Amino acid sequence: MNTRAGIYSTTLLHRRRLSKRAIEIKLEKPRSFKFESGQRICLVHKAVERDYSIVSVSEDPDICLCIRLVRGGALSSELNTAPIGSRFSFTGPSGYFTFKPSLRPAVFVATGTGVAPFCSMLRSGATGITLLHGTKSPSELYYKSIFQSAAILYVPCLSEPGPSSEAYFQGRVTGYLQTHLAAGLYDFYLCGRREMIRDVTLLVDEKFSGSYIYSEIFY
Amino acid sequence: MTIYTGTGDRGKTSLFSGQRVSKANARIEALGNLDELNSTIGGLIAALSPKCPDLINEMLEIQSDLFSISALMATTPDSPSMDTIESITQVQIETLENAIDRMENELPELKCFVLPGGHITAAWSHLARTVCRRSERQLVRFLDTLFSEQVSERYQKALIYINRLSDYLFVVARYCNRILGVPEQYWKC
Repeated sequence: MNTRAGIYSTTLLHRRRLSKRAIEIKLEKPRSFKFESGQRICLVHKAVERDYSIVSVSEDPDICLCIRLVRGGALSSELNTAPIGSRFSFTGPSGYFTFKPSLRPAVFVATGTGVAPFCSMLRSGATGITLLHGTKSPSELYYKSIFQSAAILYVPCLSEPGPSSEAYFQGRVTGYLQTHLAAGLYDFYLCGRREMIRDVTLLVDEKFSGSYIYSEIFY
Repeated sequence: MTIYTGTGDRGKTSLFSGQRVSKANARIEALGNLDELNSTIGGLIAALSPKCPDLINEMLEIQSDLFSISALMATTPDSPSMDTIESITQVQIETLENAIDRMENELPELKCFVLPGGHITAAWSHLARTVCRRSERQLVRFLDTLFSEQVSERYQKALIYINRLSDYLFVVARYCNRILGVPEQYWKC
């Protein structure tokens, strides 16, 4: 695995709004930059550093990131307003949160922008995946079409009531796991809020004891 | 971002390879000993004068090697995560042996037991040596629980490294007393 961090210079190529609380940006990919799906980079700007999981796959021509907009956040605010063509630095890749195929079924669990590494993993060939995505509202179900086509089961878990026209689970991801996932052994991949990671981990200890857990705390 | 996750509040913790295990697990005990060893070497580095940059750099490498051994201990033998672990190599073991030989060449031959202590750096090094020996004992106890086919060369190299590191720390203690002008004290000599 490539975990030897290099320092790279890059250019902001593209930005689009994903929801009120998130944007997607595309950065120029340096020719020598290689990574594995699930790894992250550390963006550096004016002495502020933030880690972001990569949404794109290694073969893509650019580096795509899904950025949660933090009120007063030094880097997310900059990325949200910087002119296209602005220069940034980053280090990476880093992290071991990669897909590890096994005989156990894999369950990906994300909250908010925590779906970023799962998008990359599914696009790079991870199969047989159940994916739960916990958000407040349907507008935050980022990369839904990719997940609908690549996962064997994609379950949006909405904490606020959603439109009746769409299939979703009303409640938190832990609620779905508690009531809908059959007891057994799984490989759980958790990415997102620390509270979700804590709650799912403790639930796994109780209901899915013996399962494996790989986690990446986002915020 | 805060460091606490709360996932260990009920006495379990996660291995690097994904399993949840009791914090009383032999593997976690081994990891705790390695952590204590690494921290004690940190104490030794802090006590060393900046005038010993070679020794300090050598020990920073050792601290890094101990992280590799800890990662190995946090990974079950047949898990896919094992592929991402950097093994201890013969080169790292020989680096320790060469350092031992280099320092021993500057030391008087030892004819009786030396009392642990002397200069503060020597005292730290002796303390680190004893924690290293405890780490080794726990590592052996843990390896005894594995099936023989699971005790791969990775573990054997780690075990050799820890054994050699104890010798290294003993020699470092003597070397520190020597270069800092503190006479060694002997037992019934």
